[in-house]
Amino acid sequence: MKRKFLLIFLFLGWCGVGLFAAEHQPGFGTRRYTITGMAEYSYNTTWSHHANLDVQALMPFNPHFEMEAKLQFSTANVYTGALQMRPKFELPVGELFIETDVMFKALARNRISDLTAALGIGYRMDYVSVTLGVFGRVIEDWDRSWYTDESYIVEPFNVLYRLEVFCRPQNNPWNLSFMFSNVDDYQMERMWQPLFSIGAWYDVTDNWRLNFGAQCKPTGMFHLDATFYGATARVGFSYRFDK
Amino acid sequence: MKKISYIFLVSLLFSACSEDSTLDIAGMFSPQGETIKARFAQSMLYNESRSEIHLDMAQDDYAIYVCTDSHITRTSHRNLAYFVNQYENASSPKLALHLGDLIDAQKNFPCADSVLRLGERAIDDTLFITPGNHDIYFKQWPIYRDYFKTSVYWFDTNNGSKKLDLFICLDSAEGDLGVDQTNWLKTLLEEKSKEGYRHIIVFTHTHLWKLDASQGHTSNYALEATYELTSLLSKYGVEFVWSGHQHARQSVIFKGVQYLVLNATKDSEKGQSYMIADMSESIVYHYIDYPQQP
Repeated sequence: MKRKFLLIFLFLGWCGVGLFAAEHQPGFGTRRYTITGMAEYSYNTTWSHHANLDVQALMPFNPHFEMEAKLQFSTANVYTGALQMRPKFELPVGELFIETDVMFKALARNRISDLTAALGIGYRMDYVSVTLGVFGRVIEDWDRSWYTDESYIVEPFNVLYRLEVFCRPQNNPWNLSFMFSNVDDYQMERMWQPLFSIGAWYDVTDNWRLNFGAQCKPTGMFHLDATFYGATARVGFSYRFDK
Repeated sequence: MKKISYIFLVSLLFSACSEDSTLDIAGMFSPQGETIKARFAQSMLYNESRSEIHLDMAQDDYAIYVCTDSHITRTSHRNLAYFVNQYENASSPKLALHLGDLIDAQKNFPCADSVLRLGERAIDDTLFITPGNHDIYFKQWPIYRDYFKTSVYWFDTNNGSKKLDLFICLDSAEGDLGVDQTNWLKTLLEEKSKEGYRHIIVFTHTHLWKLDASQGHTSNYALEATYELTSLLSKYGVEFVWSGHQHARQSVIFKGVQYLVLNATKDSEKGQSYMIADMSESIVYHYIDYPQQP
């Protein structure tokens, strides 16, 4: 009896998911102009304990093009700005997008700046989002002497990867996600320096969304002795403007 | 079958270094032995138990023989033996540095012992080593410690009462110096940079920059650690950082510090060489190719 009940329950659940997906495919909820503010607590063995304030603006100009601007202010005396432009192409199932990303990091504590530019291609479905691309980096010393052999550092070729898995469809009022990548909103790590992240959101109202996230950054995972390097926890709100 | 092959290939890519290339997925996520915190503490304990190393070179000019990544095994140590021979038979005052990855995998320290003849060397011998990832991986730190005693230390050279050069060895075998070692380095540089050394040189295994794809799938420091270490070394007048790990030669000057990465001494690799740095008021370095195997 129990087994039958379980089978019926699973069948109904499967039908429900199917109907839900059919109703909402393609698309990932209403994309609206959104402003997000996040507060972060972060620790790593280099900068020790520090806090970050993040501000993000999502601007979906039309169904085929959106832009995201991001700023981060850190008590570690590091300031980051990023701009993402994302052409999108809806497919019968899911969405294909091209991601162009420019990120500038001013490390005032070290008098160094770090500029990265990335180009990637991604595919997003209700439960999975994958991005693969390349990026280059220029690291510049603010006090560089122009009369010596000193130069800026160019790390021309890095691979960008991001795999994010969601527990619910992306237009659901709540969700939980797991991400494996070497980039996030405010950092583009070298390809052999992965980041492990979890994220969650809950739509309090149609306009307000509560966001949570956490990230772990190990070091030495490839051919070194892997060990813990840093972790971040974040919480914040998003405000979605009416159409 | 195709699927299994892909999984196997991905697993290989993700595997850490191990004897006979066996997989070690767990090693990707957690340390396989003592972490840098423990290694640093044990090294400091040893350093405090012995006197400081001041090498009297008897003249201002001398040579430093530097090699890295010998990855020796019981059957493959020709280049390292050649390096030791060249260094020991050089006529000028000299010292030697090995920048890590002395051995390739477990059970090869006795072989390193026979090539370097560690038993015959005094504590203030002129051959110095820094640990590489291959030297400490798979819980080999206790063995490394038995042979080399410490992974974090400094020594200086002098000519009678005249101070010459300062050398600092850092343990970067896991791609992070850790909190304690970084603080120690900062304190040491603060103190020593005022003592009027001619040159300050840092040597360690893991390189700082990823200038090209030559490092393959080996990681180095997190970016935050790269920025911080770079600034620290620059602030206190370090002139050179010598490292290995990526098996490809590299030279770049950033914030007044010259970062030299040496290519490997490993027998089976192409284009192996070691470096000789002539130390005087300036440092002039050149590379010597190992003889080709007949």
